[in-house]
Amino acid sequence: MSDALLANLLSPAVLFFALGVAAALVRSELKFPEALYSALTIYLLVAIGFKGGVALAEAGLGRVWLPALAAIGLGAFIPLWTYPVLRWGGRLAPVDAAAIAAHYGSVSAVTFLAATNYLAAIGQTYESHAVALLAVMESPAILVGVVLGKRAGAARGGPPVPLGLVVREALFGRSIFLLLGALGVGALCGPAGMEKVGAFFVTPFQGVLALFLLEMGIVAGRRLEDLRRVGPFLLGFGVVAPALNGALGVAVGTAVGLSAGGAMLLGVLAASASYIAAPAAVRLALPEANPTLSLTAALAITFPFNLTLGIPLCDAFARWLQS
Amino acid sequence: MNLHPMKLVTIVCEAYAADAVLRLLAEVGASGHTSFPVEGSGARGRRLADIPEYANTQFEVIVRPELATLLLQRLGAELFPRYAMVAFESDVRVLRADKF
Repeated sequence: MSDALLANLLSPAVLFFALGVAAALVRSELKFPEALYSALTIYLLVAIGFKGGVALAEAGLGRVWLPALAAIGLGAFIPLWTYPVLRWGGRLAPVDAAAIAAHYGSVSAVTFLAATNYLAAIGQTYESHAVALLAVMESPAILVGVVLGKRAGAARGGPPVPLGLVVREALFGRSIFLLLGALGVGALCGPAGMEKVGAFFVTPFQGVLALFLLEMGIVAGRRLEDLRRVGPFLLGFGVVAPALNGALGVAVGTAVGLSAGGAMLLGVLAASASYIAAPAAVRLALPEANPTLSLTAALAITFPFNLTLGIPLCDAFARWLQS
Repeated sequence: MNLHPMKLVTIVCEAYAADAVLRLLAEVGASGHTSFPVEGSGARGRRLADIPEYANTQFEVIVRPELATLLLQRLGAELFPRYAMVAFESDVRVLRADKF
């Protein structure tokens, strides 16, 4: 276990992330152009979506629907237990508790990518079509969290935003659209298509991910100074919630018949917190919520935790559970 | 050269507010706008614009004076409570009054 932990900490992905954090801490002028960030995001989502689609074509939908249902249920359940903990345990305002619960139930694609990277590095096999779980698990928690927040608090003024807009934002944010689109393209092309684009989408993948994590390190590092503003409860929550959700995800994944690698990926999805899709939808639906709280917890606490410790922990738990 | 007095309304907001601002501009009858990504700092501290989702947008729109008042009133009532933004108007003079 400690070997795996060390190997993860010394992987290019984690080290480049740390380099990015260091760059932010020493206030280096290192900065990625916005266009490069967008390009890397598109590459990563298309690459993982396409690969998952090809795997889906080979596995068939019959093997995916049960884990997908489990992922949706898990996403919807996480805000239901985290909300009361945040609300009464953390004494947060109802709307802030709902917003944070939505972030934690939703998922982080980068964390998922780093987890597949980890599995590849240690030679553990997994269901490549698990990326379908990433796609379906992004929205349910956002919708549940928004409903929780709407029930709890009156709007702070201004006309209410139509729920349709919120649903559209939650279901068709650009990342989901791209991921599902690439999944569809991959499923239609199948292995023959993979032969044509594999050199571009598979081989350079790890390098691109490392580069992206360098940028993510800068983004996370620049928010570390907000840690002072979120308080000790949220700091603890940002570590304990992913650990519990990760264990829950691994257990559910095992129960629905995923391999150790697949169950680990579902665990990582459950452990991860969204910092792209959830903020956009929550900002629209619950503008009264303080974005500093949810974003700092998701980006500056939980994301680094998962990247360094959460991923190997989920893997170890999955192996133990299935041994 | 014949110049006509108009108002330039400038709105600086978080990118999440952009759709709502565009809808409002259409509703009050502004005939066009210019927008661009910006970064800076304000009363609530730095506004990090490191990735597009967290970016800030500046809108500039030239309108007739009565429309500027209406636009600022509605911004204040409908969008200020929801989003991080500032808005202000300034006097400008344009060549072709019928364009606005």
